[in-house]
Order: sequence, then structure tokens, then C-alpha cells
Amino acid sequence: MTTQTTTPTSGTPGTRPAAPPPKKRSTAVGRAPWILVGPFLVLFLLTFVLPIVVAIGQSFTTVTRAGLFGEQGVTTSFAWFENYRIALEDGNFIASIWRMLLFGVVQVPVMIVAATVLALLLESASARWPGFFRATYFMPYGIPGVIATILWSFLYVPGLSPIIDLSEALFGFTPDFLGAGTVLWSIANIVTWTYAGYNMLIIVAQLKAIPPEMYEAARVDGAGPWRTAWSIQLPLIRPALVLTTVFSIIGTLQLFAEPQLLQTVSPAIDSQFTPNLSAYTTAFAYNDYNVAAAQSVLIALVAFALSFLFLRLTNRSSR
Amino acid sequence: MREVTRRELLGWGLTGSAAAVLAGCATPGTTSVNAQPVVPAAGEKVTLTYWAWLKDLQKVADVWNAQHPEIQVEVAWIPGGNSGGYQKMYSALAAGGGPDLAQVEMRTVPEFMLVNGLVDLERYGVSEHAGKFDETLWNQVSFAGGVYGIPQDSGPVGMYYRPDLYEQVGADVPATWAQWAEVAPAFREAGMYIDSFPLDDTSVFTAHAMQAGAAWLRSAEDGWVIDMASDVTLDVARFFDQAIDDDLVTTSANPYSPGWFAAAADDQIASLVSASWGDALLAGVSGAEGKWRVAPAPRWDHGFGSSFIGGSTSAVLANSKHPKEAMEFAVWLNTDPEGIDAMIKYSGIGWSPARDYIGASREEPSEFFGGQRYNTEVFQPATQQQNPDWQWWPITQQTFNILGDGFRRKATGGTLVDAVVAAEARTIEVFRQKGLTIRKAER
Repeated sequence: MTTQTTTPTSGTPGTRPAAPPPKKRSTAVGRAPWILVGPFLVLFLLTFVLPIVVAIGQSFTTVTRAGLFGEQGVTTSFAWFENYRIALEDGNFIASIWRMLLFGVVQVPVMIVAATVLALLLESASARWPGFFRATYFMPYGIPGVIATILWSFLYVPGLSPIIDLSEALFGFTPDFLGAGTVLWSIANIVTWTYAGYNMLIIVAQLKAIPPEMYEAARVDGAGPWRTAWSIQLPLIRPALVLTTVFSIIGTLQLFAEPQLLQTVSPAIDSQFTPNLSAYTTAFAYNDYNVAAAQSVLIALVAFALSFLFLRLTNRSSR
Repeated sequence: MREVTRRELLGWGLTGSAAAVLAGCATPGTTSVNAQPVVPAAGEKVTLTYWAWLKDLQKVADVWNAQHPEIQVEVAWIPGGNSGGYQKMYSALAAGGGPDLAQVEMRTVPEFMLVNGLVDLERYGVSEHAGKFDETLWNQVSFAGGVYGIPQDSGPVGMYYRPDLYEQVGADVPATWAQWAEVAPAFREAGMYIDSFPLDDTSVFTAHAMQAGAAWLRSAEDGWVIDMASDVTLDVARFFDQAIDDDLVTTSANPYSPGWFAAAADDQIASLVSASWGDALLAGVSGAEGKWRVAPAPRWDHGFGSSFIGGSTSAVLANSKHPKEAMEFAVWLNTDPEGIDAMIKYSGIGWSPARDYIGASREEPSEFFGGQRYNTEVFQPATQQQNPDWQWWPITQQTFNILGDGFRRKATGGTLVDAVVAAEARTIEVFRQKGLTIRKAER
């Protein structure tokens, strides 16, 4: 290998280096990326950065009203961490975060394992019609979460659900899918049903990226399908697993549509069942934008902390 | 042009953002339209917008439009109340816009007042129309010398029941809650329920307390006075605590939920204490035609013959450019026989708040209820037996949610009584957080 050393082509010592290239060209070149990136940047600032900044600002503001309805004066003032105190003192809000952690600890691994197993099966040599099954498993993701929840709610409601009827007829047992202790797992079921196929697809993409020589080498070395999966495929799809897990952790904390809709059929879901539902209720049912902003910031912090923690853990163990 | 460094870009971003923070910190709804001068009548052609969740309300508005070329009303449909409609209104108000008129539930009127979202119609001479409206409902939209909405519909409470099922178990239709509790076990033995008690929709419990004579909050000269955990309310809570403990009512299927419809179609629900607007919903029970009748609600040994569940107003929103015209339309819509009949025909509106007219079709015998003239027999008298002291308050929804969260604990060993006591304390706390003056009633 040769290394080329370039020496500055300056003239005689003491004189200034060569003048920069013509100014006009540099302006155009310098401007081009900004013009290209401009539309994105404007939207990004307006719809992403600005709302976050405003929310953080709101979370430090408080409004107090005097009299019956504030007719004797309304004052807006800087509140320091008062809104955060109110949010954190709200037992239901804290309970909703713990509920989602419990949900995530159970649902995320179940879903990731299911997605991985499906992906490995579809990519195994003996799979029949992998394209058809891949599309079938992915299909639930194509159904909007709201529609999926409505579909599932009809399978959960006593008197309408064929599952309950069947269970009563066969085992004489009436499952309660919407009770205080079970509804969380009924939601987990919907979420897993929706997203397992999607996560599977990410893993399949990574599996496809494994060069065929690897498999050939493994086969030559006498590895069966189990051994290939364990020692070749799983280690190589690790980045996809990490990615899907982080997405799932974030998704878990953002759970909103499913509980919001199931509320109509399950008395066990209260107005603060999940952190997002809590913030939504505070903002739009109670009109308390400031505390809602504090709650949102807290949710973001928890999601950030959990994702960071997970990435740290996986990075450490890979070393 | 020199290149912009990343640091500089960040700097601009932060500066811009900081400016936005300052602008954004002006929390919406902190200035009052009712302190500004009255908007005079336009005197030329105006177009009003009305946001409502009633179906086909435009057809009703068209009746008005045909007669009033100078005031045209356009209706836009929004989702019902807290299912998205209010959220949309609050956002519009916060952004300085919104329609001239909007459908706002009776109980939500004070919440909109809290964000300065409503026009005080007293300033536009609404009091000359006061005599056209039901007195109880008019009281519920009047606060501190102002009127903040035109009553649009309501729901006087009665009891829907199945005579065949009552006959089957040999029970008389109860006239009092005590009798109700006496006959209820007979239905359980036959595998039915006399009624269901919604743990999460506290508007039903609230109506029972209202009927018993409770007035949870009242606006006084010196601020709000709360009397939620009064003996009257606690007695009602105790009554239903007992009913749930004895398994007299089902708590797993709220009235009109899919599970309830399934149970009702399966002859498992013998009666339902509910509002007049329940008639249309009952029609959704498969095979129910001709099976149900209506009786007056069971009474407590004190209090009133009935109560109201639900009910909404046509309210003039703060950013309306033509409050006077909007008010005139709302008064016509809700008191003129033409408006009422059109609303019944097209929108299936609830009970009309007009004092003298319930709607032509409502005076007829009903085929669904086996030829009973239930409206004139039960619901019209019920509107005369209402609790006049009841007032809604600025955080009604929050109190309902707090109460509902407490009621849900009933499933895991809590009691309704505890929930009511806790809800009172929490409501006081929330009032104080908002800076509003509130004190407990002396008792």
C-alpha cells in the first residue's frame, strides 16, 4: 500500500496561501444542500421540534383562576416543577406506567420470540409456500389498530363471542376477557397479533442478508437445522432483534388506541389506564394542558431511559 | 455566502424555539369574551356554523334557512362529546377559531366556561325567552347572573320493563327503590337481572343521587360549596353497595353496551331505569318489539319523582362573530314546534326542553311499546318532578372519572361509599389546584 502525502502548494514562504476558488461557485454549492433539505427541515422544525419545545414550556407553566369560573381574573405563571409534582403524585398515572412496564415485560418477549420463530420457520429450507405465509402473517399489520380492536372486541364480549360460547359448551368454563385482571392481557393479545408479523418481516429481511456460503459451510461442518438456527442465524439477526425490541418497548409505552376503544366494552379500563390515555384525558377531558404536558414529558423520559437501558445491556453482553 | 455551521444552526433553532415557547406559554382560554363589548346584530346576510353530533341536523337547519334568508346555518358533524367533539372544540377555541354554535352537554357547560369558551347570552337579551324553557333545565345553564347555553335536549328518567318477565317471576313493578330491592332476588332465581349498574359510567349513579335530593355542588357568592358526601348521596351509595353485594344487579354489562344488548335479547334483563332517550336504543335489542313498557322510576322515600340523565345545549362559542343571530337560531331550534318536530324526525333528538311542546309524534301511542302513550304517561310528568337545586360544576367530567375510578374498585373489594367520600376530597383538591374557591357544606 502506498501512502501519498500532499504538501501544501504554497508559494514562497511568507506569502498567503492560494486564494480560495471563485466565490460564486462556492455559494451555489453551499446553498444546494440547504435548498434540498429545506422542505424537510421546515416540516421537521414545525411539526416535531416546535411541539416538543412548546410542550416542555407548557409543562413549566401554571394557570390559576379566581372566583367561580375565573371571572375574577386568570393568571399564568412559571410553575417550576409544580406540574411534575402533580403528575407524579397522581397514583393513577404512576400506576399506568407500572402497568405498561408489566405489559412490556410479558408482551415484548412473547412477541419477539413469536416473530423470530415464524421468521426462522419461513426461512428454513423445508418451508412450503414461504411467500404466501409471509404475506398472511404480515396481514394483521395492514389492518388499522382501531379496526383490529373492534374486531377483537367482538371476540371478547360475552354473548357475542364465539370463543366464550365454545368454551362454555366444551369445558363449561366462562372466560372473562374483559375483567380487571385479564383485560391487560387481552390487549397484549391484540398488540401481539398486530405486530408479530411486522417484526417477523424485519427479521426475515436480516435472515435473507446472510450469505448462502455460511449455510453451506455449516452444512459441511455437519450442522443440522437446529444447530444452524442457534449458532448461525440467531447471532446474525441480532441487530434486527435489538431494533424490533426497542421499537416494541417504545410502542408499549405509547399504547393508546386499543385501551381507548376497549373502554366501551370493559368497565375495567379507566380513563388513565395507560400513560398516553392519562395525558390525553388530562389535556382534553380536564382541559389541563400544563399537567398533561408534564405527563407527556415524563412518558418520553421513561421511554428514552428504557430504550437506552436496553441498548446498554445488549451492547455490554455482546462484548 | 459563508457556510452555516451546525452550531449556528442549532443556535437559530434554539432562539426560534425560545420565542415559540414564550408564545406557546400563553395557555389558551385565559381571556374572557364576556368582558368585551357586545357584538351588535349584523344587519346583513350572515352564515353561521353549528358543530353538533346529532345526525342530519342540516335538514333541520334547512327548515330555518328557508324561512330566514338573512341568517343561514351550516351544520358540521362532530363526534359526540368526549369521544372527540369537545377535544375538537377546545382545540378550535384555543386556536382562536371555532364555530358560532356548538352542541355542549348540560354538564359540560361550566367546563367550557372555565376556559372562557362560551358567550353569556344574558348580554344578548336571552331572558325574554326564558319562559319558553323547562325551569329545571334553564337553571342548569344559568350561573352567576348569566346564561351560557340554550337547552337542546335532556332525558327525564323512567323505568323500562318487560311485563312478561315480571309476570314470569310473579313480581309487581316496583314503585319505590325499597320494593325494587325486594323483588330483585326473584329475577336472580330465574337467571335474570332486574337491572344493571354501570360502575364506570357514573352519570347513572349521579342521576339516582339527584333524584334522592342531593345537590353535589352549588355556586354561592363566596365560591363553590361542595356537598357530595352528604347523607342523601351516601344512602344511595349504600343502597347500591348492598345491591351489588347481593348480586341483584349485573355490573359487567353497562346499559346499551354490546354485552347488555346480547343479554337483553336473551331475556336476561327484566328492567332498566334510564332516560327517555333510551327508547330509541331499546329498539336496537333484537326481537324487542312490543315486549317493553315504561313505568315511572322507582322513588326514594324522600327527594323527587325523577331526574335527568344526559342532555345538551346549543351553546354560542366565544369566537362567534354573530352571537345575537346564533342565539336567535338556537331559541327557534329548541322551542319552535317546527324545529322540535324536525329534530325528532331527522335527528332523533332526546326530550325537548320546551315548556309547552313535546313534539307531535311523541303524543302518539307507540307501537314499539305495545301501544302505550309512554311519553305523555311517564316522561312528561317526570319533567315536573325534578330536583331544582342541581347544578353542574367546572370539572364535572373529572369528578365523574374520579368517582368512576373509585367505583371500579368495587370489583376488588372497595365500596361505592368510600368512592364518593374520596371523590369529594379529590374534587376539592382539583378545584384548589385551579385556584377556584371551594368549601365544604356545613353538615
